[in-house]
Amino acid sequence: MDVRARNNVQVVGERSGAPTMVLAHGFGCDQAMWRLVTPQLAVDHRVVLFDHAGCGASDAAAYDPERHADLAGYAADVVEIVEEVADEPVVFVGHSVSAMIGVLAAAERPDLFSRLVLVGPSPRYVDDGDYRGGFSADEIGELLETMDANYIGWAKVMAPVIVGNPDRPALGAELAEVFCRNDPSAARRFARATFLADNRADLAHVRTPTLVVQNREDVVAPPEVGAYVHEHVPGSDLVVIDSVGHCPNLSHPDLLVRAVRDWLRTS
Amino acid sequence: MPRSRAERWELAPVALLLLDAEARVVDANAELRRLVDVPDVAALAGRRLGELLTVGGRIYWETHLGPLLRVEGRVDEVAVEVRTPAGREPVLLTAIERRCHGDLLVEVAMLGARERARFERELVDARRTAEAAERQVRSLHGTAADLAGVAGLDAVARVLVRSAVTALGARSAELWVPDGARGLRRWAGAEHVEPPAVDELYETTTRPDGDVVVPLRTAGTLYGVLVLRPRVAPGADPLDLGTVAAAGQLAALALARAATHEQSVSVASELQRAMLADALVHDARVEVAADYRPGVLDLQVGGDWYDTYRIAPDVLALSVGDVVGRGLGAATAMGQLRTAARAAADPELGPAQVVERLDRFVGRTGTGFMASLVYAELDLTSGTLSYSCAGHLPPLLVRADGTSSFLWLARATPLGVQGTSARAADTVHLRPGDVLVLYTDGVVERRDRSLAATLEDLAASVSMRRAAGTRLQDLPGELVAQAVEHDDACVLAVRWLGEDAGSAHEVRPG
Repeated sequence: MDVRARNNVQVVGERSGAPTMVLAHGFGCDQAMWRLVTPQLAVDHRVVLFDHAGCGASDAAAYDPERHADLAGYAADVVEIVEEVADEPVVFVGHSVSAMIGVLAAAERPDLFSRLVLVGPSPRYVDDGDYRGGFSADEIGELLETMDANYIGWAKVMAPVIVGNPDRPALGAELAEVFCRNDPSAARRFARATFLADNRADLAHVRTPTLVVQNREDVVAPPEVGAYVHEHVPGSDLVVIDSVGHCPNLSHPDLLVRAVRDWLRTS
Repeated sequence: MPRSRAERWELAPVALLLLDAEARVVDANAELRRLVDVPDVAALAGRRLGELLTVGGRIYWETHLGPLLRVEGRVDEVAVEVRTPAGREPVLLTAIERRCHGDLLVEVAMLGARERARFERELVDARRTAEAAERQVRSLHGTAADLAGVAGLDAVARVLVRSAVTALGARSAELWVPDGARGLRRWAGAEHVEPPAVDELYETTTRPDGDVVVPLRTAGTLYGVLVLRPRVAPGADPLDLGTVAAAGQLAALALARAATHEQSVSVASELQRAMLADALVHDARVEVAADYRPGVLDLQVGGDWYDTYRIAPDVLALSVGDVVGRGLGAATAMGQLRTAARAAADPELGPAQVVERLDRFVGRTGTGFMASLVYAELDLTSGTLSYSCAGHLPPLLVRADGTSSFLWLARATPLGVQGTSARAADTVHLRPGDVLVLYTDGVVERRDRSLAATLEDLAASVSMRRAAGTRLQDLPGELVAQAVEHDDACVLAVRWLGEDAGSAHEVRPG
C-alpha cells in the first residue's frame, strides 16, 4: 500500500537537518486548513501535510468503513504516515479531532513522536455526569441532520470557484475546487466517530511532551475542556491564545504559529 | 418612492447580517430581526452568528463554513437552521467575506427555505433509501454467494457466522440450532450471548442491549436462530434489520438444504463403505491394497469403485471404475454395476467379453450408462495379465526393475455407448515384484496441468515410492492423499510376487 498516495501526503520545506513537523487537519476540511501557517512553519521545519481517509484528495478506495469507524483507525493511519515520512521522532500538530488522533497514536507508538501540539482538543464532546463537553447527545444528532440537509450540495460535483481575491495571494485557484469537499457518507461516519467518541481515559497514556493550544472562545472545544485535557495529559503545558472560533489555523495563523514556536523553543 | 441604499438594505426581503471578523453581529436588517424575533439591533449586536443557529448549525459553521469562508471568501446556499421563538427555521445561507478599510467584514444573507427544505429532505430520504437498498442487495448477494459454495450443516453454520460479519456488518454472530425436545443448542460463534427466548423465535427483533435476534425460518420450520452483535465503534454503520431478516431467510434455506444433503450423504457413504468392505482378496502370491477418498468440496460420495475377486482358484479379477454422477444415485448404480461385473466374469470368457456383457447389462437396465471401467484378470501362477479398458484411464505398470509404462492398448468407449467398436483385450506378462496400479481420474486430473503431464507425475511418483521402499499397503493411501481434493479419488494397487511365493498357498477368507 502506498501510504503517500492513500493520504495525499505533501512535504513542504525539504531542508536537510530540519526537524519534521506533521500537521493533521480536523473534522470538516482537509490539509488546506494549514495553508496560512505552513509557510511560516516551513522556515525551520520539514512540514508534512496529509488528508485523512475520506477527506480532501485522499484515495477514496482506501477509505474503510470498518477501520475508520473509530478514531483508532485514523490513528493507525497516522502511525503509518509518520513511519513513511520520517526517520526520527516528529512534532505532531493535531487540530480539533486530530488532537485526539495524535494522543492515540502517541500512546501507541511513543517512539515516533517527540512533541505533541493539541489545537482545540476535546476528549469527549458529549456531557457526561460532572464532565462538561459542551454538547448533549441530541445536539450531536442535530449536527448529523445539518450535514444531511447539505448532503445534496456537498455530494454533487461542485463547479470550481475562482479564488481571484487579491487579499489572499497565498491561496491557489486549484484549492477552491476541493477544499472541504469530503465524501458525504465518510464525513457522516467521521462526524459520529469524532463527536460520539470518549477518549478521556487515553489522555493519561501520553508520555510525549505536550502543548494544549486553547482558543479564548471556542464553542466546539470550550476553555474548560482544554483545561481538562491539560490536567489529564501528564506534564502538559497549556497556552490560551487570543482567538475566537475553532480554527485559529485560519482565523489567527500568526497567534498559533507564535504559540507553537515559543513552546518548541522552551520545552 | 425612491429610498437610500441604506434603507433598501434595511427593508430588503431577505434576512441580512453584517458580521465582524469574529463572526459577531454588527448590524441586522428588519427581516433578520423579524426572523429571530428580536426587534432591536442593539440586542443582537455582539452575538456570534453561531448563537443564532441550532447547535448542529453552530458546529457546522465552526468546522466547515467558517474555514470555507476564510479560504474561498464566500459560501453559497448552505442549508442551516435558525433558532427562533417558534422553533427551528430552515434557511439557505450565503456569506461573503470582504476587507473594508482594513477590517474583515462578513456579509450574510439568509433566505427562508421551509418548502425547499422539505423537498430536499424528501430527496435526501429517497437517496438514502436507494443507497440502503443498494447496500442491502450487495450484502444479500454476498451472503447468498457465501452460502451457495458450501454443503453440510457445519460448513453452512461456519459460513453463516462469517458472513454475518463480512456481509451484514455485525461485530460477531452466534448460531443456535434446534436440538430436539431440549430447545436450542449453540452451534457456532465467537461470543456468548443470551440464548434466544421463545418470543424471539418468530420475527427479527432487537434486544435492549442492541443484539439483533434473527429466527431462521422457511416454510414454517425453524432451522436455527442467528444472534448478531452490532459493532460498537461510534462511526460504525448500524445493522439494517430488513437486510438481516432477508439474510435470515437465505440462511434458513441453506440450513434446510444442508440438513437434507447431510442425510443423503450419510446414507450414500454408508452404502459405499459397506459395498467396498469385502473388496480385497487375500492370497500369498499377490499383495493387494486400495484406497478411496470422497471429494471434499461437497462431501458427496461419487461413483468410484475398486474390486478384486477370484474367478478361478488361480485367477484374480481386478476392476476399477467410475459411474457418472454423485451421491446416493451414483453409489447405488456403482453397487449394481460392480455386482454385475462380478456376475459377468467367467474364466472361459476373457476381459473383452466380460466388458461386452456389462455393455448389455447397461443397455438393458440403463444403470451405469457412460460409466468407465478397467477390467483385468491376473493369472497368479503365470503372471499373465489380460485387460480391457472401457473409456477408462490406462493402468500403470511399474516393473520390479523400476521402469514403468501405461497400458494403452485394448481401449474402447465407456459402457453402454451405442455403435461402439468391438471390445478388445490385451495381455502383458508380469514378473515377480511388478506392480499394477489402477486408478480413477480424480487421482490425476488437475486443471492447471495436461493429462499427459499428470500421468507422467503419477508414474514418477509410484517409481519414486517403489525405490524408497514404500510398502504396497501404503501406496494407494499416499497417491489418493496427493490428489487434488475436489474430486473423488480411488486407487487399487496389486503386486504379483510370483508363483513360488505361493508355496505356502494360504487362502484366507476375504
